[in-house]
Amino acid sequence: MISTVRDFVRNSPAYSAWVLLLAAMFGVGVYSVIYVLINGLAPTSLSDNLVWGLWIAVDLSAIGLGAGAFTLSAAVYLLGMKRYESIARAAVLIGLLGYTAAMIALFVDIGRPDRFYHPLIYWNVHSVLWEITICVVFYSMVLMMEVIPIVIESTALKRNRFLHWLAGFLHRLMPIAALFGMGLSLLHQSSLGATYGVLTARPVWYSPSAPVLFILNAVASGISLTLIVTLITSSFMKRRLVPGDIINNIAKLAGIASLAYLYLKLWSWAATNYYSHSPALERDLELLRENTPYGFTFWWFEVLLGALVPAVIFLWPRTRRNRYALILAGVLSVMGLIVYRWNMTLSGFTVGLDWSPGVAELFPVNTYSPSLVEWGVVVGIVGYWLLAWSLAARFLRLYPHAKDEPESSAAEAVETHAADSGEARPAQA
Amino acid sequence: MDDSKTTLVTRRELLQIMLGAGISVGAAVVPAEPLSPIIRGYFERLEPEGTIGRDSRDQPHWGMVIDLGKCIGCEYCVYACQATNDVPDDMRWNVHLVDETPTGDIFHMTRPCLHCQNAPCVKVCPVQATYVRDDGLVIMDYDRCIGCRYCQAACPYDARVFNWDSRGDETLPYVPEWGAPEVERRARGVVEKCTFCIHRIDEAAERGLTPGIDTDVTPACVNVCPVEARYFGDLNDPSSPVAQIISSTPTLRLRNDLGTEASVYYIPPRGLAI
Repeated sequence: MISTVRDFVRNSPAYSAWVLLLAAMFGVGVYSVIYVLINGLAPTSLSDNLVWGLWIAVDLSAIGLGAGAFTLSAAVYLLGMKRYESIARAAVLIGLLGYTAAMIALFVDIGRPDRFYHPLIYWNVHSVLWEITICVVFYSMVLMMEVIPIVIESTALKRNRFLHWLAGFLHRLMPIAALFGMGLSLLHQSSLGATYGVLTARPVWYSPSAPVLFILNAVASGISLTLIVTLITSSFMKRRLVPGDIINNIAKLAGIASLAYLYLKLWSWAATNYYSHSPALERDLELLRENTPYGFTFWWFEVLLGALVPAVIFLWPRTRRNRYALILAGVLSVMGLIVYRWNMTLSGFTVGLDWSPGVAELFPVNTYSPSLVEWGVVVGIVGYWLLAWSLAARFLRLYPHAKDEPESSAAEAVETHAADSGEARPAQA
Repeated sequence: MDDSKTTLVTRRELLQIMLGAGISVGAAVVPAEPLSPIIRGYFERLEPEGTIGRDSRDQPHWGMVIDLGKCIGCEYCVYACQATNDVPDDMRWNVHLVDETPTGDIFHMTRPCLHCQNAPCVKVCPVQATYVRDDGLVIMDYDRCIGCRYCQAACPYDARVFNWDSRGDETLPYVPEWGAPEVERRARGVVEKCTFCIHRIDEAAERGLTPGIDTDVTPACVNVCPVEARYFGDLNDPSSPVAQIISSTPTLRLRNDLGTEASVYYIPPRGLAI
């Protein structure tokens, strides 16, 4: 065993160092989580005026970025676009990593982690947060169902007769898993926006468009994340993991989703901020503009760099064929989602509630900057995510149509595109 | 179609499976529903409560009137609440602020939990750890709360506080000057709030006393007020002090535009329009 590891490290030193670095990050996270479990939430920068912070933003982002899983599973198993299985497996694993990461963040964030199972026993069907919890629990099971066969197939586990049968059985259930997965995702990806959108007391949050914005953004950025993770892994492994035309089409899909998100986002802004007048909302936005970079980050990071630029790169054929442009667009799109979730979480808490009937300015702007232990947990979550992915990419058969040829130039991508569609035709006929 | 050979489950089969699954889930849930203690608990406990228009007039509906014109800002109510309910300084359930009328005069604003009948905090709690009782009190189940703090985000009045840290054996600064703790200290990690001194109200019936009239069963903040700016009683009973004030004097409720149906009414100070 030890000699096998030694040989492995000798043969791939760079990979081993990378894994070691990620393991160290994960270790920081484990330490921070234990620290929080022992000391409670007092060491965070949260307060009664600002009860959610970095962890909730990370949790929302992780779930949002897992949306590629349900989108691509639905394409493969419900719409019968079977060639997309070449990337759907990776999307499903990315989804599972996102959801488990979110559950870690939530587990740490609640005041009583020992009661994490209460939403399963004590139902409040009027609470969007209850609905989210139930959906996330069930959808994580669906993702597990989709990932287990991949793990069995790609490892020595398949030699076990029961596990071999189990993998085949679960594989047969894929269409059902995809259907449930889509239903559950459509529910909770939107409800995450509704978590803020339904709170009438806070004008910055209260908005019927928030649920739809959240899911459109999640689809666009979730697909983008799957795309860039695939492209980056591909260049590290020097293998063509996914056929060029599939990459091309998925980029197009991400572009369309980005545009839809952008359209609704601009109208949502215009309808509530520009064409109408609400004194409470105006006061809150004014306070945010004066005290935080909210307005600046909204326009630059959420709208322009987070949605418009990626949409253009994904939809313009010239940039779409360039791998580096695609990676840039994907990174921007992912960044846009994270900034949106951060701004959403913080903005509503930053401006205090004004409940006193007088005119004095009694409710100050609340500030927040995450404490060390909050960052520690996040470092751990990022480490966990990258570590799990790095191990999976190396040891699991995530890309069933991978070929041992590097995908280098744009010209080649176009050639493979032609070749792939040529190959595909007789099979479908 | 060639495709059907390679497809493990065709779309038609899938639809059949879905239909079958739907029918079987329905068949399983419908008869099981009255049997399940979880679901039964849900129907019993949540549905009649936490909604607008509780019209059971035979039940008391505990409420409060605070006269902002009378309040002198002595903060006795704040301290009495802290002593009675064992609340530290940075977690006050009942707070005092100095506000200003549009005419530039200051007035003293105090705020307990408003015990909304259409409470935003109750709606959002994922585990029903907080709910509106039949007598109008919005209460917390500290043994059920998971500490997600969504209720704090939803409350329009900042009336809820979280136990960020565990509380050691520190003695309260206001004991014995202001009374002795009458309730248990809350654990780390749960949200807490004003209860209208529920432990006193719950004793009223068996002792044959009336909250709002007999001090033993009236909230501590009401008893201690030196200028009688706070009144307590049954809003459903026309002869109670609170009902009489509300029927004879113009009052306001905080953020009434949100439709929270608060149980606390304020008599505005001079110069403040309703």
